[in-house]
Amino acid sequence: MAIETFYDVIRRQGISRRSFVKFCNLTAASLGLGPLAATQMAEALETKPRTPVIWMHGLECTCCSESFIRSAHPLAKDIILSMLSLDYDDTIMAAAGHQAEAILEETKAKYKGQYILAVEGNPPLNEDGMFCIDGGKPFVEKLKWMAEDASAIIAWGACASWGCVQAAKPNPTQATPIDKVIKNKPIIKVPGCPPIAEVMTGVVTYITTFGRLPELDRHGRPKMFYSLRFHDKCNRRPHFDAGQYVEEWDDEGARKGYCLYKMGCKGPTTYNACSTVRWNNGVSFPIQSGHGCIGCSEDGFWDQGSFYDRLTGINAFGVELNADRIGATAAGVAGAAVVVHAAATVVKRLTSKTDA
Amino acid sequence: MSDAPHSGVRFRGVIDLDEHKVHDRPTIYVYEAPVRAWHWTNALAITVLAVTGYFIGSPPPALAGEASAHFLFGYIRFIHFAAAYILAVGFLVRIYWGFVGNSHSRQIFYLPVWERTWWAGVVHEALWYLFLRKEPKKYVGHNPLAQTAMFFMFTLFTLFMIITGFALYSEGAGIDSWQAKLFGWVFNLFPNSMTVHTLHHYGMWVIIIFAMLHIYAAIREDIMSRQTMISTMISGERQFRDDRED
Amino acid sequence: MGIETPNGFKLDNSGKRVVVDPVTRIEGHMRVEVNVDANNVIRNAVSTGTMWRGIEVILKGRDPRDAWAFTERICGVCTGTHALTSVRAVENALDIKIPENANTIRNIMQLTLQVHDHVVHFYHLHALDWVDVVSALSADPKATSALAQSISDWPLSSPGYFRDLQGRLKKFVESGQLGPFKNGYWGHAAYKLPPEANLMAVAHYLEALDFQKEMVKIHTIYGGKNPHPNWLVGGVPCAINIDGTGAVGAVNMERLNYVSSIIDQMITFTEQVYLPDLQAIGSFYKDWLYGGGLSSTSVMSYGDIPEHANDYSPSSLKMPHGVILNGNLKEVLPIDHKDPAQIQEFVTHSWYKYPDETKGLHPWDGVTEPHYELGPKAKGTRTNIEALDEEAKYSWIKSPRWKGNAVEVGPLARYIIGYAQGKPEFKEPADKLLTDLGVPLTALFSTLGRTAARALECQWAVHQLRYFQDKLMASLKAGDLATANTDKWSPDKWPAEAKGFGFTEAPRGALGHWIKVKAGKIDNYQCIVPTTWNGSPRDPKGNIGAFEAALMDTPLADPEKPLEILRTLHSFDPCLACSTH
Ligand code: HEM
Ligand code: HEM
Ligand code: NFV
Ligand code: SF4
Ligand code: SF4
Ligand code: F3S
Ligand SMILES: [Mg+2]
Repeated sequence: MAIETFYDVIRRQGISRRSFVKFCNLTAASLGLGPLAATQMAEALETKPRTPVIWMHGLECTCCSESFIRSAHPLAKDIILSMLSLDYDDTIMAAAGHQAEAILEETKAKYKGQYILAVEGNPPLNEDGMFCIDGGKPFVEKLKWMAEDASAIIAWGACASWGCVQAAKPNPTQATPIDKVIKNKPIIKVPGCPPIAEVMTGVVTYITTFGRLPELDRHGRPKMFYSLRFHDKCNRRPHFDAGQYVEEWDDEGARKGYCLYKMGCKGPTTYNACSTVRWNNGVSFPIQSGHGCIGCSEDGFWDQGSFYDRLTGINAFGVELNADRIGATAAGVAGAAVVVHAAATVVKRLTSKTDA
Repeated sequence: MSDAPHSGVRFRGVIDLDEHKVHDRPTIYVYEAPVRAWHWTNALAITVLAVTGYFIGSPPPALAGEASAHFLFGYIRFIHFAAAYILAVGFLVRIYWGFVGNSHSRQIFYLPVWERTWWAGVVHEALWYLFLRKEPKKYVGHNPLAQTAMFFMFTLFTLFMIITGFALYSEGAGIDSWQAKLFGWVFNLFPNSMTVHTLHHYGMWVIIIFAMLHIYAAIREDIMSRQTMISTMISGERQFRDDRED
Repeated sequence: MGIETPNGFKLDNSGKRVVVDPVTRIEGHMRVEVNVDANNVIRNAVSTGTMWRGIEVILKGRDPRDAWAFTERICGVCTGTHALTSVRAVENALDIKIPENANTIRNIMQLTLQVHDHVVHFYHLHALDWVDVVSALSADPKATSALAQSISDWPLSSPGYFRDLQGRLKKFVESGQLGPFKNGYWGHAAYKLPPEANLMAVAHYLEALDFQKEMVKIHTIYGGKNPHPNWLVGGVPCAINIDGTGAVGAVNMERLNYVSSIIDQMITFTEQVYLPDLQAIGSFYKDWLYGGGLSSTSVMSYGDIPEHANDYSPSSLKMPHGVILNGNLKEVLPIDHKDPAQIQEFVTHSWYKYPDETKGLHPWDGVTEPHYELGPKAKGTRTNIEALDEEAKYSWIKSPRWKGNAVEVGPLARYIIGYAQGKPEFKEPADKLLTDLGVPLTALFSTLGRTAARALECQWAVHQLRYFQDKLMASLKAGDLATANTDKWSPDKWPAEAKGFGFTEAPRGALGHWIKVKAGKIDNYQCIVPTTWNGSPRDPKGNIGAFEAALMDTPLADPEKPLEILRTLHSFDPCLACSTH
């Protein structure tokens, strides 16, 4: 397999062999090394490549990228400069237009079966895929095409993993998660809207360090970050067990850091590392800062009723109902029926007795 | 109707499961001890589960003071889980008894839909409840209408509650727990466990409604029908109050 | 064949068509097509939003108190501004008043976003239009150090520091894997910086990457996370407790100190790195004054950062409010968000359907019904576009107009309006920068002016952050701890029908959300977003939008490598996820 060396790169950019040697000498000199080192360097420039990563964007909000660059350990810059080769990422790459597209073709040809495809967002399938156009074509086409030769796929965020906000009812674009479009590649889902920065970089560095995908759970998420409801490690958990809740925003309980269960906190049903890794280098996480979890790493979290309800609501006949209202109403009806029936029984019995 | 298996007084009009046997005694031993013991434990467990479950869904107002001084919600959940284990183990035992017990011990697990007479019984009992029949029939075991209600509203839903309940429980126990291994598949069907909570919650209401109707029917039948009911579930013996053929 | 648009641009699409798709280093998906004449000067520009998600459609029938979370996901780059706009819209509709502290904290959140977004835009999305990374390899670290020290007191400026950095950069380039720098237009004739300035800029590119993650911790403290912090109708979700036990669950003294120290660092970084860099880079490009577009004629700003809670009148807003039309800087026109004749959206050239497409709709009556079709003159196929037909529908962006006018929004618009209003906090820094660079006021109406205004605004914002954090402390000292008003939290207390609007000045410009509530649910929800204004396609009268206008008449050194197009587009900091939502 042809690996592009630095020499190839600069030759392609129109730099002569002579300038290349000069560059090596200069570099060696600036590093305080002798001429021999310069020769070695020139040879060593044909090095083992860093794992190429192609980061594509479908329908999304770019928040996953934003989260990624917030990583504190490792730093995003160290990942980009030293740990992998982010050869394509429309959000930060220097190249544009056909120069950008050329990178995809090149990577596909040169690193066949060796590059990682990281996908942020998802492809819409309605309107022939033209709700997300990339290079004049449906994004879904480009996605499938790049997936063909990828070694593995990372589905970043709730968008790529589950569909997220654009797939919320009625999902007008038919936004579709990656694993519903690409079936023949290992896919690792890193859900969250967005995922925690250090979880993202943790996944990436795990792959580059150990040369394999981390262990995944039944939904394809890395166990190391998603095997626990953070409710079980929440800093408000003692208040949950004690029965101490925020009953209203900014009440006494809110100021004392009581549990947000009654404010609709989705911690009990959400798998994420928020209460353990926390956000932005461990500064806080949603619950610590006073708002309940909205369940942003869960499949379909947009369609579970209001974020402030404890149970999935259903909207029947234009009225918002929840399990207790429906249940209590049904039980009420049953109770009333029992009473009426009992009364009728008594009446019937009395009348039939008089008859007799 | 066939003859009784052994000679003696024919107690007419009593319908049993297989071939509508006619019995020869005014009292028949129907519910074996394990069934009765199970019934009352189960009834208690479900009551506890419903009460604690309701509070899990809508916790009581917050308590004042230090968190470390209280464990109210923890206890509510603990009692729910303890009752849940009683319910689940009881259910397993009850299934076992369905295999080894008498024919009535199997009634809540199936409906003899292939039997025309059974259907006729359903219709008859329904009409009796609608005051359109003067009298119910006499049954050794559950009457077909009761059996139907028990099968759908109790057996299936209890199973449902156990499955969803243990699936929810596995979330706390962790993905390496036996609960997760046995019941984790629930989250393949409902990937967001919020849905499972909601369904589990609905299940409670189904069972509550069953209990309401069931208790009412038991009391009413005890008074109105031609046989004993509540005492049967205590002693196991069913007594019939008349000897009419139909 | 040329035509003249009502807003004064001569369009001629007879020359060679140059297509850039994807436009990169922006948020979202965008395509641009231009026609160049024989001298490679742009004579026609067509900008296209190439994505749509349907958030407005998805919001229908939902709980208005949830809308902030949905709309926040319109964009993760300007994260939070949609959420703020949304809670304001809901509060406006339901007449909910928020506590003073909530207003202050919201301002701090919004200003943090401004600073973060501007810094990331300048260094990570825009800088490579001016900075040649490869040229940095040949810089002399000593000279670089001297340059850096001559313009700023920023301590990271020793020769050794730049040498190390250059070494790392070399190693990176030597590896042959250029990563995100691959296939850039390195060596392009339009790059003017000497190697030393390039090296310094690359150093700050990396420093800014490190630092941006620190600033957002303010969002993490008050909102629980970043991106996508949490918001609340009626206030802010973070309760404050500075005395009691259990304060760990709330904002306490340690948290307040944390915010304060980050603000100090933001001030330092902006004044010692961002502004000096802007000035240094700007000084090499001050002859390149293309890209003014609509800025010299039509600009708009809603205003934002209310001094007083619940008072969104221009006198309370610290960011300028108003519209300038026809380049008349003497008159700043007031905006009424409720007036059906002022703000309207058209879809004649957008992939949507209206009952009558010659007319615009006020957002309260807005309709979002997708309808994708290419015009008869388009080249290629429905799913393989080679060239668009701008006479037909050609973008997922709608065309918003203010009283029928296409306007530019964003930091430059805000500065021009503030300048026109004679507000010293906007006028003085702008004048100083112009004088320092030795360019006339008109130089502001350009790509560079847009980039400069953003930096100036960042400086304004860091000091406002200090102001509001101090204001919060003063309020706490005075014993006011309230952060939320829950009087109307319950939908039982809402009217059967209500409508409202909310607005902010997002980093990229004027942002508005309009909501109609019926029986406790969202009946209609419409957003008009900064990049909707700037990136709009033509309207029925043929007015072109700000992107297209700004590209006009720019010469390209090499149409194969249209660096100049990127430069001007990037100066708007386009956000396509926002624009179409
Ligand atoms: C008829 C039997 C049962 C009834 C009526 C019942 C009722 C309930 C109800 C109403 C809830 C609250 C759901 C919510 O609002 O989130 C609940 C929660 C729960 N139930 Fe049950 N349940 C039953 C059986 C079981 C069983 C067999 C288990 C098995 C362990 C179980 C385990 C749980 C768990 C783990 C929770 C969630 C607790 C939490 O989130 O803290 N339940 N139950
Ligand atoms: C005071 C409360 C209760 C009384 C008086 C009562 C009474 C009875 C009676 C009389 C029977 C026998 C019916 C027949 O012969 O056809 C029976 C059966 C049954 N009851 Fe109850 N019951 C009570 C509570 C409950 C509760 C709370 C449940 C569960 C939700 C329950 C579930 C059942 C079931 C499943 C059977 C069928 C037993 C079997 O065949 O294994 N009961 N009950
Ligand atoms: N346009 C836009 Fe935004 C901003 N600033 C939103 O309102 O970027 Ni994502
Ligand atoms: S998952 Fe959420 S945060 Fe990430 S791109 Fe999608 S909407 Fe944005
Ligand atoms: S705040 Fe939420 S996650 Fe934390 S203990 Fe309460 S319910 Fe669980
Ligand atoms: S909303 Fe998301 S960020 Fe964590 S606390 Fe909940 S999963
Ligand atoms: Mg809109």
